[in-house]
Amino acid sequence: MSEVLSVSGVSAGYGSLRVLHDISLSINRGERVGLVGLNGHGKSTLFRTITGLVDWQNGSITLNGVQIGGKRTHGPGLKTHWIARQGVALMPQGDAMFIGLTVRQHLDAGAFTRLAWSERHDRREKILEIFPPLRKLLNQPVGKLSGGERRMVTLGRGLMGDVKLYLVDEPSLGLAPKISRAVIDALMKVELTEGAMVIAEQNLQLLEGCVDRLIGIHGGEIKGAADSLSLQSGMI
Amino acid sequence: MDKKKPSDNTLVGRRRWLPRFILAGNRTLHRRYIPFTRRTWFQGYAEVNPRNLVREYKLDDKRPWFWIVGLVLAFIIPMVIGTNLVYTAAITFAMYSAINLMWMLVIGTAGIFSLATLAVVGVSAYLTAWLSIDFGITWPMMLILGALIGLVVGVIIGLPALRIDGLYFALLTMGMVELCRVYVVSSKVFGAAQGGLYGADTFIPADWQFQTPGLVLGYVAAFCLMLLMLGIYRLVNGQRLGLLLATARESEATAEALGINYQLARLTVFVISSAALGFIGGFYAAYYKGASPALFSIDMVMLLFAMLVIGGIGRAEGAVVGTAVVVFIDKIFVEYGAIRLVIIGLIMLAVTLFARNGILGVRLQFVEFRNKTKSGRRAQRTEKGGEAMPEEATEIRDKDQIYFRRFDKRLREDLKKMVTPELIEEHRVKPLGQHSDSLERVLNYFRRAGGENKYVLYEISPGIEYKVVATTGIRGLLPRDVDDVVYTDKNEALHAVFLKRVQDLMES
Amino acid sequence: MDMFTLMSGLQLTCIYGILAIGVSIIWSSLGMLNLAHGFTFAVSGYGAWWAATTLGNSGWIVLGAGVATGGLVGLCIYFVAFLYIYDKPNYPIRALIATMAINMVGVQTLMWLFGPRMKSLPKVFGSGVVRLGEVVMTYGQMGTIICSVGTLGALLTWLGLSRRGLEIRAVMQNREGAALVGISLRTTALWVLVLTGALAGLAAVLLSQTFFVNPYAGLQPLIKGLIVALLGGLGSIGGAMIGALIIGFAEALTASYLGGQYVLMVQFGMIIAILLIRPRGIAGLLDESREE
Repeated sequence: MSEVLSVSGVSAGYGSLRVLHDISLSINRGERVGLVGLNGHGKSTLFRTITGLVDWQNGSITLNGVQIGGKRTHGPGLKTHWIARQGVALMPQGDAMFIGLTVRQHLDAGAFTRLAWSERHDRREKILEIFPPLRKLLNQPVGKLSGGERRMVTLGRGLMGDVKLYLVDEPSLGLAPKISRAVIDALMKVELTEGAMVIAEQNLQLLEGCVDRLIGIHGGEIKGAADSLSLQSGMI
Repeated sequence: MDKKKPSDNTLVGRRRWLPRFILAGNRTLHRRYIPFTRRTWFQGYAEVNPRNLVREYKLDDKRPWFWIVGLVLAFIIPMVIGTNLVYTAAITFAMYSAINLMWMLVIGTAGIFSLATLAVVGVSAYLTAWLSIDFGITWPMMLILGALIGLVVGVIIGLPALRIDGLYFALLTMGMVELCRVYVVSSKVFGAAQGGLYGADTFIPADWQFQTPGLVLGYVAAFCLMLLMLGIYRLVNGQRLGLLLATARESEATAEALGINYQLARLTVFVISSAALGFIGGFYAAYYKGASPALFSIDMVMLLFAMLVIGGIGRAEGAVVGTAVVVFIDKIFVEYGAIRLVIIGLIMLAVTLFARNGILGVRLQFVEFRNKTKSGRRAQRTEKGGEAMPEEATEIRDKDQIYFRRFDKRLREDLKKMVTPELIEEHRVKPLGQHSDSLERVLNYFRRAGGENKYVLYEISPGIEYKVVATTGIRGLLPRDVDDVVYTDKNEALHAVFLKRVQDLMES
Repeated sequence: MDMFTLMSGLQLTCIYGILAIGVSIIWSSLGMLNLAHGFTFAVSGYGAWWAATTLGNSGWIVLGAGVATGGLVGLCIYFVAFLYIYDKPNYPIRALIATMAINMVGVQTLMWLFGPRMKSLPKVFGSGVVRLGEVVMTYGQMGTIICSVGTLGALLTWLGLSRRGLEIRAVMQNREGAALVGISLRTTALWVLVLTGALAGLAAVLLSQTFFVNPYAGLQPLIKGLIVALLGGLGSIGGAMIGALIIGFAEALTASYLGGQYVLMVQFGMIIAILLIRPRGIAGLLDESREE
């Protein structure tokens, strides 16, 4: 089964507001998929649904065959850490930072399995190769870093564990174009032997030539997909 | 009285039941006001009941009734039972209620989490008792001086409250209480050796003291004290200060944006309640003829706080009911000793964990819970677009609308499936005349549509030029142009109108 | 300042520091202000006393029993005040009230079980004195200082180096972010509460070298521990330590030169002064890069 993520018939929302309507998609191993859509149409909510941070959800989400979706009524985030340990790494919009910790500690925090923890020095090295500017900043508290550097720390943190599915939410948000380019390039360098990557972006040009396919989301529904990267009109 | 049936489950939440009084003979309502004010005795309004067209008076606010009944019962029952024990308990209840009402004002209205209320009472009690013993002040002066002392202490404690963060302030007040206790327990002036001060002036005549008549008088006085505090609570909470602070409670930024000086309002409420607490302190000293360090013990503070929590923070009813519950338990289990406090503590724990707004808030909590789960489940079931969401549905007066919209949506779904390229081709070839079944259905739907934003054909000159316009549905307003295309062939024009309508249908 | 004052100042600093750090960690990682710490303190004293009377007088037993009892109480607090309500609305206030209730129930139960008379603990460190040049210290004082510094040092090292310690610190900073990297709030809460409970137990045994064990023994240390934590800024361990230094020495100096009954007043004056200047505590001065 080469499907890493299979979402079928998923609706989700907050309280009495329904955001996602009957979404179905599937991501295969080794794929890089771009998720495009305007603000407020459900990109982040889809990611949060997969990681269990919404108020309620219907339908089934499976990760490598393991069911991680389901109904929830009591409050967001109760199963999130378990889902994360199954191998889902969400790099959220605006970074969930540990402000008082240093960069090194941040990266270490991402290595949550025992194996990853014992290998953390090597993995850190690999990440420093992907993001060279972080090498000088290893012992700085994250609170002092600039936006682009923080984004790199968040991405690096996500890369530390044994991750099977990367969900990257708006990597270029708030960054200058040159730095966004660098961030996307770094994302492309990540090897996807066992996993897959979904990048949510508003800026289509950044994803050109990088991702294998695009999925469009509009008004909480999947509208359109593109295999090639010629920008198709009428999709958004 | 007419009880409304619970509505069916398309509504979010349920309507409250309000008692109604039929106005005899269909006469209009004659509003009566409290003398010297513009407030009516009870809040309510008169309207015509749409079902049977009878004029009725609907009572909006049932709470005054509960208060009146409760207070009358609370006053009468100890008199009826009449034992000394019950009187003592009732006096304790009344005094604690008074203190708690003022405390509720501080915590609920002003939003200042302070644990020093009992300390204010204690300071005032000690000082007035000392003044009475050493300088011979009479009991009316004790009351007045008590209020002044409370005022001063209130300003002293209240000013830091504005600057220091809520939780920090709470802990500081806790420390202040302990500080007072340590001071009083080791100070000769304040009777450390005798366990408190004794011998102050009192309003109970000498031969009535420790006898039933004295207790009755004490109870009546304490009850009046409680009523006074209730009045102060209503006055502060229900009038300008309370309303200003209600905004600040929700969101301080909004209050500031509205120009409300909520810090000053908070300080004012704090000072007013401190003055009242000082008055209570004077009363305490006058009734018990002295003061003891028990007023500063953390146990006592915890006990009073338990009363607030159990009753429910934020409402005056909570203060009184909570006090009643705790005093009741305290006196019933008095022979078990320290276990009483354990029981009270356990109840407090249970209330915090399960009934988060106290006993009186249980109903509201349940209603909120029911609404939340219902709307969550409804959102899971509802489909998007077309059908009226229930929040909207409650606002629509003509319920037929809801059903029409539902029907319309289903019809459109069906029609969308029927629109195929063949159908369009069919119409292009022969716009008028006999058509296939599907095309007929589609055409009928279009022709049935209302006059608003309907695409129609405009003959610029009959038989020669045509244009597509859209009607506005408003009488007197001309149709608007849709595009610039001028058709010469009627069939082509008709087909153009059809295409536009089809496009609208597919996009809806 | 004379030796005695210096020594008691150091001793008090250690004990208040232990309590304050516990309170600080619980507050920033769990959002709960633990008022039941006083009860933990008192009960650990009783636990140590019971162990001393039934198991033996050795210092290790007394210390161990105190620490174990403290940890056990922490576990109870986890189940009662945390687990059920941590995802419900109004959680911080409710946790505060719940711990207050636990404190009340617990202290009264102790009162009922053991009565108000005080019990004494055997000296953990023996009763000799040590002379280092001009400095004279009892074994008790020296033991307290060494023990506390050692424990705190071990704790901080563990927090800094181990995986679990990193988890706790991550949760202290950002709960949602921690969940996203696989850190479970429940497990972390368990560790935090048990550890801080054990710390309070240690502080109880150490303080009981100078004072007696009674149900209300936890009250003043609780208040002072809370105040030190506040002074240091809730959530800052360094701030708590500095605050402990200030308050501990203030107490020792006041007790020596002004008299015992003015201690609280002086401490309060200082705290109000500092909080008026810096409402967030000393931590604001320490760490400039913190953002909200």
